[in-house]
Amino acid sequence: MEKYVNEVLQPKIQGDGGWIEFQSFDGKILTVVFKGECSKCLILHRCVEWIKEQIKTDLKKDVEINAIRKRPYFQDV
Amino acid sequence: MAHIKVVRRSMRPEEWTDLRFGWLKRHIYEAKWEIKNLMIRDARQVSEMEFEYYSEDYRPLNKGDMYFTPDGTAFIKADVNIPEEMQGKELWFSLKTAAEICVKVNGKYVGGVDPNRERMLLSPYVDDKKTLHFEMMGYNRSKPDDERNPESLSVRGCRQIFEGAYICTVNHAVQDLVWDFELLLDIAKSELFNEDYRAFLNRELNEAMNLIDFDSDELSGVEQAKKYLDEVVFANDNYKGSGDVALIAHSHLDIAYYWRRIHAVQKNLRTILIQLRLMDKYPDFKYTHTQPYVYETLEKYYPDVFEELKEKVAGGQFEPVGAMYVEPDCNVPSAESLIRQCLYGQQTYQRMFGKRVNNAWLPDVFGNSWILPQILKKSGVDYFVSNKMSTWNDTNRFPHNNFIWRGLDGTEVYACVPPTHFITWNMPSQIQENWEAYIDKDTGGQTMNMFGYGDGGSGCTEEMIELMHRFDKLSVMPKCEHMGGAEFLEKNLKNNKSLKVWDGELYLEMHRGTFTTKSNMKRANRRLEFKFRNAEILSVLRKEDNTEKITELYKKLLINQFHDILPGSHINPVYKDAMADYDEIEKELDRIIGSGSRYFNTLNFKREGIDFIPNKNGTATRYGKKGNWVVTNIPAMSSANVRALRSKGEWLTVGERVETPFYSIKFNKNGSIASLYDKELEREWVSGDFNKLKIYTDCPGNYDAWDILPNYKDKQIEINVESELELCEKDTESATFKTVLSTESSKWIMLIRVFRKSRGIEVENIVDWNEKHKLAKAEFSLNVLSREALCDTSAGFIKRETHKNTSWQQARFECCHHKWCDISETDGGVAIINDGKYGVGLDNNTISLSLLRATIRPDVESDIGHHDFCYMIMPHSKGAVEAKINNIAYQYNCELIKSDAQYSGETFEPLFIQAMKMSENKKMTVIRLSEQNGARGKIQLPYKVKLLNMLEDVEGESDVIEYKPFEIITIGLDN
Repeated sequence: MEKYVNEVLQPKIQGDGGWIEFQSFDGKILTVVFKGECSKCLILHRCVEWIKEQIKTDLKKDVEINAIRKRPYFQDV
Repeated sequence: MAHIKVVRRSMRPEEWTDLRFGWLKRHIYEAKWEIKNLMIRDARQVSEMEFEYYSEDYRPLNKGDMYFTPDGTAFIKADVNIPEEMQGKELWFSLKTAAEICVKVNGKYVGGVDPNRERMLLSPYVDDKKTLHFEMMGYNRSKPDDERNPESLSVRGCRQIFEGAYICTVNHAVQDLVWDFELLLDIAKSELFNEDYRAFLNRELNEAMNLIDFDSDELSGVEQAKKYLDEVVFANDNYKGSGDVALIAHSHLDIAYYWRRIHAVQKNLRTILIQLRLMDKYPDFKYTHTQPYVYETLEKYYPDVFEELKEKVAGGQFEPVGAMYVEPDCNVPSAESLIRQCLYGQQTYQRMFGKRVNNAWLPDVFGNSWILPQILKKSGVDYFVSNKMSTWNDTNRFPHNNFIWRGLDGTEVYACVPPTHFITWNMPSQIQENWEAYIDKDTGGQTMNMFGYGDGGSGCTEEMIELMHRFDKLSVMPKCEHMGGAEFLEKNLKNNKSLKVWDGELYLEMHRGTFTTKSNMKRANRRLEFKFRNAEILSVLRKEDNTEKITELYKKLLINQFHDILPGSHINPVYKDAMADYDEIEKELDRIIGSGSRYFNTLNFKREGIDFIPNKNGTATRYGKKGNWVVTNIPAMSSANVRALRSKGEWLTVGERVETPFYSIKFNKNGSIASLYDKELEREWVSGDFNKLKIYTDCPGNYDAWDILPNYKDKQIEINVESELELCEKDTESATFKTVLSTESSKWIMLIRVFRKSRGIEVENIVDWNEKHKLAKAEFSLNVLSREALCDTSAGFIKRETHKNTSWQQARFECCHHKWCDISETDGGVAIINDGKYGVGLDNNTISLSLLRATIRPDVESDIGHHDFCYMIMPHSKGAVEAKINNIAYQYNCELIKSDAQYSGETFEPLFIQAMKMSENKKMTVIRLSEQNGARGKIQLPYKVKLLNMLEDVEGESDVIEYKPFEIITIGLDN
């Protein structure tokens, strides 16, 4: 799962100025940290849904995602 | 007693007008027919024209579906039979979207929709069968083209909900009235206009709205409202505005920023398509587009659109501007790089359109080196445009908008620093703001106001042009004239005797961090600039024609000098792309440089002092490679055998002080120097912290990668000494002392080298950098009394004041230099020579060389990772010129290579050979000479040479080269 987040999802997210980091996976809940543009995205939940779909398609796993935003304190949005 | 705030709940008349304006806009479309058979296929762009598809085939796309994925490109298609009720009418395609979509109809790219515009005209592309085959290529970016457009901002994000695509007819009466209201409401809401006029507008706009029956489905009264505005509002000329504003249509296109370079190909396509369509509709519309590189991508990948563009160029509506290949950063690239920007840029325009341009168009560049006027003038450029000094300076108001810019060597070009931003949407308030901010009202002629969405392209809209067509009807507006960029410059600046002169660099009082951010890129750029020099010289000497290959590689370097690439203000994938490009360029240049049996000095002066030559059995280490420090003595442009010497006895004593032939040094445990006593000059160089690593908290706010703030010294973090400084390597020529420093997250190895035969003290820094919001500097407090420092520009030096008497010096607390900076008294001083650092602070007797930053926006992990870089401390007698610091710094940066090439020509000393290359027409050898010590003189040659400009046009012939301070001279020798 970590490899998938780092190697498959991360390049796509980064291509849009976003950033995703694997934090943990307990077999059911995948915890990821969103930074960069993702951290202040108003519709991040849609992206999280897409990530779930991707994992289901590529890894054949149903996961719940715990999305943690780390927004720089100096950004006002 | 409770205090009750009274809130007004009833609507003010102007709010009532706004509300009805919103309703009016809902009636722009007369009829809408939904396209229900759209199919979509998701993909991701992997190169300029290659896509990795996520599915084998297309799937249906219906209203309400999610579409677009992170960094995704979507291909959307549909075949549409135009419904009978719409046939024969003026038809439009409408798609409200957050994405950037290029639209192909019946096999031809015809237009675009994006967050700034939702419709495009279809009628011209309807075929005899009344069918439309749509093919769309859309990409959705989390960062819209233009963040200043609130509508764009509100819909940003990678996953979007499809709102449907339609074929429509437009109610032009409503649309016209909407544009009228758009224009007048902007004035009514702007405090820049006369208060009484705004009250008049608020009153009369309400009256006009009263004529429309919003309760009726037909929206009756639109014609009457339009008539009312014409007869009451536009006819009122009691309120007189003033001013004379030139409106230049332009779209700023960052080649890479929050997107990769590969995406700029389609951003440019969409921008151009949109402007071409506007030109069809509005014959008076002229659009100004820069960067020959993006024209090249259009020509290569979309030749049909390029042919159409060429027609519009020939017709005078589409105006290529900007002599430079891209809009480069104008601080960090060397003089030769900036020359190549002009050479390849002008060459591209000449080939495409049969003409060069006479302007440099650099609206978004982060300050401009003082060497530019000469480079521009000698590249056929008389006019310079750059916005940021007026709109972004954080301390001082730049005193001119239209002026003459005098360069370091005295060359002058006409310059325009427009008073306001280069991205506006042609609103009256923006135009008024420009006029009010314009300083040179009495001397500069018209003021330049650019309009058009940008950053990621997009450009002008119908609305911007429609508003422009109404400006003449408003007496309260400044006089406005729409024109091209070159036309503005020639009309207002050419032969204008009233223009004031700015004699100095165009320092931007902002973005001071861009001299340092992405340290590895800057070092690679410097290294490659010198490798290009070697590769071209050796190609000439060996009579090899590598022109095409070198041009291809040079262009790649130049693209990466774009002002959001080399400065470091971009997302992580852009960094990876650049580093991959640098690797590729380096491999190819190394292949061209080749090898040989002897060491060849490509410098046009004697290579003396010390050099490091790699040798796997060597007794010294530098940049992780074994080798030897050797004393070289190789004449200019010649070769020699170089060998490490056997021991000649002890030359170093290590005790409480380290004794070398030149110095008695007292080191601190952390590698800083407590005392550097010069035995030869009998003086102490240290007065305070010297070679002291300092790491500051560096939190500049939203412009994270761009800025260093003046308060950066407020918080310094603790640096631990993990391993105290001790001797770790010693041979016959050099001795290296090592200390290991650390912070909570980073490890910093400092290697300090002293030499038997050199006055230089080299410091290598091997860093595992894992910081956030930090700025590392090496500080040198010198026992030198001087109020100025000399800073290399790569083609001469600038004298910068080191005192802080006025706000102008205070604002320049961090500035850009190239290979060296120096603070000296008349009989001695210290130069700090670097191999890829550009940011430096100069504060009284202290030099602080910026080494590394750690910013998190736009790149979350900017500069995190491994770094290895060197600088050289060079105390010297007399001043920097007499001490030949230019020569030493050249040698420090120019790798000693192996080659069996031979040269029998002139060495042109005391000028520096900046480049030697085959001419673009392959008939000459071109030699670029640069005066870098501020001297005047002449060189008598035994033969005549052609005198060239930087575009390699022959301008004369002579056997004498006369030069003046800081002049760059290009000559040609027939092959």
